[in-house]
Amino acid sequence: MNAAAEPGATPAIEARGLTRRFGPVVALRPLDLAVASGTTLAVLGPNGAGKSTLLRLLSGLARPSGGTLHFDGVGADRVGRRQRIGLIGHATFLYPALTARENLALAARLWKVADPEERASQLLDEQDLQAAADRPVGGFSRGMAQRVAIARALVHDPEILLLDEPFTGLDPTAADRLAGRLAAARGRRTSLLVSHDLARAASLADAALVLVRGEARALPTGALGSAELLGEAYREAVSALGSEGRA
Amino acid sequence: MNVLLAVLRKDLLIEWRSRDRLVAMLVFAVLVVVVLYFAAPPGQEETARAHVPGLLWVAWVFATVLGLGRSFALELENDALSALALAPADRGWIFLGKALANVILVTTVQALSAVAFALAFGLDLWPVAGRLACLAVLGAIGLCSLGTLFSAMAIRTSNREVMLPLLMLPLMVPVLLGAVRCTQQLVATGELPWSPLQLLLVTDGVFLIISFLGFEYVLDE
Repeated sequence: MNAAAEPGATPAIEARGLTRRFGPVVALRPLDLAVASGTTLAVLGPNGAGKSTLLRLLSGLARPSGGTLHFDGVGADRVGRRQRIGLIGHATFLYPALTARENLALAARLWKVADPEERASQLLDEQDLQAAADRPVGGFSRGMAQRVAIARALVHDPEILLLDEPFTGLDPTAADRLAGRLAAARGRRTSLLVSHDLARAASLADAALVLVRGEARALPTGALGSAELLGEAYREAVSALGSEGRA
Repeated sequence: MNVLLAVLRKDLLIEWRSRDRLVAMLVFAVLVVVVLYFAAPPGQEETARAHVPGLLWVAWVFATVLGLGRSFALELENDALSALALAPADRGWIFLGKALANVILVTTVQALSAVAFALAFGLDLWPVAGRLACLAVLGAIGLCSLGTLFSAMAIRTSNREVMLPLLMLPLMVPVLLGAVRCTQQLVATGELPWSPLQLLLVTDGVFLIISFLGFEYVLDE
């Protein structure tokens, strides 16, 4: 499956036969995937389809049961890959006892950013969180914590951004700001966006694939014209993959 | 090294704000002193004093197991452990940062509970305080190196409170053998015996290397 990759170009992310099993359960069936540099791939699918598993495999948090992964045509060196990737996960990855500023400075130190305090301050500005910067994250609302989580993932300005339901808990202004950032980074940053929000996916993605019970199918590029078209293509793919799975 | 310092700083800052592990470990160690003090038969204080080095390590080991059990609990909330696992560095440095934070915590408890032991059993540990401190640190390194690794392994299991001591205590025998023998002789004669000290040093080195290398795989899902 070629998702958003131009023929002949070296994809930013390339998976061949990527598989993940948990004992007898197959979370991800052999998946071939190629994502061109600077593009956004929307990963859609019902709950439990294997979308988060795919992101955790790509980020290096989980080891695949089979298959290969290449980034810009080079085999995945785990440390090098982690330097290039930013992940916004289901959970916020934040320490409740630390303040927003301390959480971001910690992330900046882990990613060896030159001036961690300055970078933390800059990200707090971008997320409009300066007023709450020195309060422990444990007291934050879900939306505020999500904004810190987004800032944390961007702390090292990653080349590849993996987003797992990044709009969760965000108010409309913050959601629009994130969407604006993602749109502005098109052409510069490669992204994989897992979302149930078809309107956002249609407006942000260059290609889309649907996962059902670990089985993937690419959607036609034309489906990204509007949320309605994407919804229609999505439902068809889910239905087809569901009936294949039952057959 | 950056990663080591970042993790160490983070763990100590969180502990400084909550103090929950330190207080729990200290209360446990002092309770052991109180129980042993009342368990010593009246009129046999001299016999009890002879057993103090072994009893010290009993208190320290169980207080350490208690503290290590919570070492990775703070990483579970919000799946912060994943953020550490994503850091672009050899995960061995994350292990060293966490193990060093644990060693600092354990040695603090060791120092305070040693004072409690000395007061309860009428021991004058002051002349050997420096060498006893070195022994306590060496013992803490042995306990915390493999203990931190096992704590990370146990944290994702359903019955982690049981798993940690089950995994850790049998392998701690060489550390305890070396540490208790050294402490006994130090308290009795003021000298450090070379042979058990060697055992302690070698075990510390082996445990550190195994844990440093093994941590890469422990953090994988």
